[in-house]
Amino acid sequence: MSPRTGATAVLLVGVLLVRLVVSGDYLRYVRGGMAPWLVASGVLLAVLGAAGLVGALRRPAPSPAHDHHAHDHHAHDHHAHDHDLDHGHDHGGERVGWLLLAPVVVLLLVAPPALGSFGVGRTAGVTVRSGTLFRPLAAGATPVALTLAEFGQRAGDRGGASFAGAQVELTGFVAQPRDGSGVRLARYQIACCAADAVADVARLVGLPGAPPARDTWLTVVGTFRGVGPDGVPELAVAGSRAVPAPVDPYET
Amino acid sequence: MATDVPPRPSPSRPTDGPAGGSASGPEWGLVAVLGLLVVAALARPALADLLATPAIANWATVFVAIAVQALPFLALGVTVSGAIAAFVPPSVLARALPRRVALAVPVAALAGAALPGCECGSIPIARRLISRGVPASAALTFLLAAPAINPVVLVSTAVAFPGRPMMVAARFGGALVAAVAVGLIWAATGDDRLLARAARPEPAGGGRLAVFAGTARGDLLSAGGFLVIGAASAATLQTAVPRSAVDAFAGTPVLAVLALAVLAVLLSICSEADAFVAASLRQFPPVAQVVFLVVGPMVDLKLVALQAGTFGRRFALRFAPLSLACAVAGGTLAGWWLV
Repeated sequence: MSPRTGATAVLLVGVLLVRLVVSGDYLRYVRGGMAPWLVASGVLLAVLGAAGLVGALRRPAPSPAHDHHAHDHHAHDHHAHDHDLDHGHDHGGERVGWLLLAPVVVLLLVAPPALGSFGVGRTAGVTVRSGTLFRPLAAGATPVALTLAEFGQRAGDRGGASFAGAQVELTGFVAQPRDGSGVRLARYQIACCAADAVADVARLVGLPGAPPARDTWLTVVGTFRGVGPDGVPELAVAGSRAVPAPVDPYET
Repeated sequence: MATDVPPRPSPSRPTDGPAGGSASGPEWGLVAVLGLLVVAALARPALADLLATPAIANWATVFVAIAVQALPFLALGVTVSGAIAAFVPPSVLARALPRRVALAVPVAALAGAALPGCECGSIPIARRLISRGVPASAALTFLLAAPAINPVVLVSTAVAFPGRPMMVAARFGGALVAAVAVGLIWAATGDDRLLARAARPEPAGGGRLAVFAGTARGDLLSAGGFLVIGAASAATLQTAVPRSAVDAFAGTPVLAVLALAVLAVLLSICSEADAFVAASLRQFPPVAQVVFLVVGPMVDLKLVALQAGTFGRRFALRFAPLSLACAVAGGTLAGWWLV
């Protein structure tokens, strides 16, 4: 990679990071708390790239005759170095910089969607958690909004005693339209980025109407019904509505 | 892998020809970048169709997620590396370490605790340390220890395992022991000539700021390119092999330890986040979870790609198996003893 091309690539990557945060698309890939780091590193890389580009444009282009002088970063294939035990050559590490443009191209053209139903059954097996003691929910007029993660944890805590019969509200996407006696709702929890996503699931029993399509987002209201034989906690549905996908599709 | 990656048609052939033709003029690279964007824009409808396939969409999301998540840490790493190159006089670092390798290696491991970040950032720094005359064994120990034992990672481990501080202690101890072991073994039997690429000094000339920016940019381009290779292979494996595939091994301790070691290598999760995934692998015994936490920051697909790119392929071929063996042993020991 020539200095100009390299600097351009660094500039593009920096701009892309800032753009991801501005557009909000970054929430499909990483947790919300990363925003300041993405902006800071994006600005840093953009400045590094821009400075390099300006510097390279000011300098006269190196003539080929000078290429093999030490420290010239101009990509050039034909000098193998005897002392280099590594089979490649000096500039291999820079040629590979081209690959840095791959995520740039992917993101500029088609921002890949947030993780969907494809991976739900593929993360580790479902087990309701126990070990945390929850205070009982207050049964009031309005249902209590819970994350799917907390719904599962409460289900694992003393057989769901902490639900105390209260109505709860869950939001997630349909992972399996037909899941035994109901519909499987899921939502991912991420700690850092989508690569470490772990799905939390619940089975909706008694959902009125035809089973909704895969990957439809639903907000449902109902009461805890128990844990199914497969370890999935179940909700007896009292009401449901389709909702647009939330801005942050993951639970953190 | 190649069949899964149509969204990036042009970057996948960085090695054919054009570099050889660079003598024809300095602008070909910019032209190629623009051409790449135009071709990709024309292919946009095809790309959108591909993303309608759930498996490909999943691949693309994980690929982009790993790259985006790692870039800030990589930026931190190349900034430190550039700053060392520009502002720290040569030989200061080498003199700061104890002369005897048996002491220098543990000191380097503990110094890793001061770098708040994850594994991607520590590679350019270790490379700069080597080019500044720090013994390779000490720099490699730093490289392995920093991502596993720094405060940010330990706190996230404590959060992921509430009420189980011994998991944090086992992770710290196992990683420290493994990193020191690798350093000492490398000092005794390693071939530093394999690191010739890293030992080459950075380009001289220009002001300090120019050296800083030039070093940071160069490190970012080489490390970033290999990060992309690692992210692509990790995304491919995550998409092709369900995580639940390892469930069958959970019942037998030896197999469970090996299965989670392999999983840690394949998943390539950032060390700040791997504790949450380990905690979700509840069907596995705690010792296997500790091994997962010790192996992940030392050996995984994206790290091996980064090491191969930074230090050379032949180095990575020796270093990765050595680190893996030490990490599995260290994690198992710490796990049996502490949890």
